[in-house]
Amino acid sequence: MKAMEVRLNVNGEAKQWTIAPGDLLLDVLRREGYFGVKRGCEAGECGACTVLLDGKPINSCLMFAAQAEGADVLTIEGVAHGSTLHPLQEAFLDHGAVQCGFCTPAMILNAKALLDRKPHPSEEEVREALAGTYCRCTGFRKPVEAVLAAAGAKR
Amino acid sequence: MFDRVEAFYRPGTVREALRLLQNGKNRARVVAGGTDLVVEADRSIRFLIDITHAGLSYIRRRGKACVIGATTTMATLENSPAIRALAGGILARAAATCGSVQIRNMATLGGNLANGSPAADTATPLLALDAEVVLADARGRRKIPLTAFYSGLRKTAPGKALLIEVVIPALPRGGRWSFQKLGRTESDISLVNAAAGLQLDSKGRAKWARIALGAVAPTPIRAVNAEKLLVGRKVDESTLAEVCDQVAREVQPITDVRASAEYRREMCRVLVRRALEECAAGTGCSL
Ligand SMILES: Cc1cc2nc3c(=O)[nH]c(=O)nc-3n(C[C@H](O)[C@H](O)[C@H](O)COP(=O)(O)OP(=O)(O)OC[C@H]3O[C@@H](n4cnc5c(N)ncnc54)[C@H](O)[C@@H]3O)c2cc1C
Ligand code: FES
Ligand code: FES
Repeated sequence: MKAMEVRLNVNGEAKQWTIAPGDLLLDVLRREGYFGVKRGCEAGECGACTVLLDGKPINSCLMFAAQAEGADVLTIEGVAHGSTLHPLQEAFLDHGAVQCGFCTPAMILNAKALLDRKPHPSEEEVREALAGTYCRCTGFRKPVEAVLAAAGAKR
Repeated sequence: MFDRVEAFYRPGTVREALRLLQNGKNRARVVAGGTDLVVEADRSIRFLIDITHAGLSYIRRRGKACVIGATTTMATLENSPAIRALAGGILARAAATCGSVQIRNMATLGGNLANGSPAADTATPLLALDAEVVLADARGRRKIPLTAFYSGLRKTAPGKALLIEVVIPALPRGGRWSFQKLGRTESDISLVNAAAGLQLDSKGRAKWARIALGAVAPTPIRAVNAEKLLVGRKVDESTLAEVCDQVAREVQPITDVRASAEYRREMCRVLVRRALEECAAGTGCSL
């Protein structure tokens, strides 16, 4: 198997990585230390592996790393500014929307993509944005409240 | 999972993609959104050809037809004003149910059709819209009706060909449309889906009708006998009952983990009835 190079931006930093042509983006990101990208079902169902690719949420378990050539990737590690949490992160903590935390990176990234596009979403739109991420702990109510609160706070 | 893949290509043109596909013989596979291909995890693949940079992401008017490039994503379709305005938005509506937000940002129209699943949600409205598909291979391009694209369970025309675009011809004047999907959740794979198109004459009789169904036969299908039964008649209670009985005879559902054949058959009646009632009432599809 031949190795290849992929160049991309991760959390604002330019990266060049040597990958195998069949590597999935999920595996490469974790190999490079982005452990906030979670390995769940690996079949597109649970959403735990969500990252933002050019601002849009995608399942990194279903994308080849080579497809991210030239793209801007955002993982949960890039959401806070230094030690200042993003308003969504604050809201998740304030609303008890984090329990085991496995789904939290994906929830926050999906919510961020929504708020970046639509700063004042309806509850329905928030639910839709979070529907592709399974949470086995919170029952979704608190994450939905947290996102609505963060949207309110940004007003 | 894909540790035997030897090379990954990102051709910038259709011509280059076709050349790579040709060279790769049976061991090259096209990848678009990857949402079916990665899950399928076929270990015989040696060469992957990413066609999402080959200039096939577009929605255009061509004369009276609407043309959609193969790598247009579900997210683009559901948000496109042109697609939302086309035929009451049945295609936009179907695209909006194709999995989660994340899936719809990746999944493409061409992939949905080329994958050949009988449950592909965009295939059903496209059948009701008399859509055609343009295929390209080393010999050139050809346009075939979507009905001819499917040859059997998970069998589609491509082979060494690329699906280039989907063409939706001019629609009947005053057409009314509906798309119905039954799944475990709104964005889960369909247990049954149905699309209908109806044109009424001045006396309220069906002048033209389309009834298409998904997940109830080896391929997405049109219930042509049910359509024939409908044409020339008023869409009243007795017509609906007869048409739905005919639909139930025309489908060949199977039992799987999601639903039994009996349940699917019954749901065909329910969805087609809802679709036709919506069309008749003119309350058709809206997003
Ligand atoms: C969690 C999950 C939920 C889903 N929910 C739904 C749903 O509700 N409804 C639904 O219909 N589908 C659903 N799907 C299936 C899938 O997302 C769609 O079928 C999607 O449209 C496939 O497109 P793609 O671009 O990802 O295809 P890919 O996976 O890239 O390709 C699929 C197949 O088609 C071939 N191919 C792709 N493009 C072309 C082309 N232009 N020419 C020739 N061959 C081509 C590939 O070689 C491959 O064999 C779901 C999938 C997942 C993982
Ligand atoms: S790990 Fe990617 S969706 Fe579950
Ligand atoms: S907090 Fe545990 S899965 Fe969501």
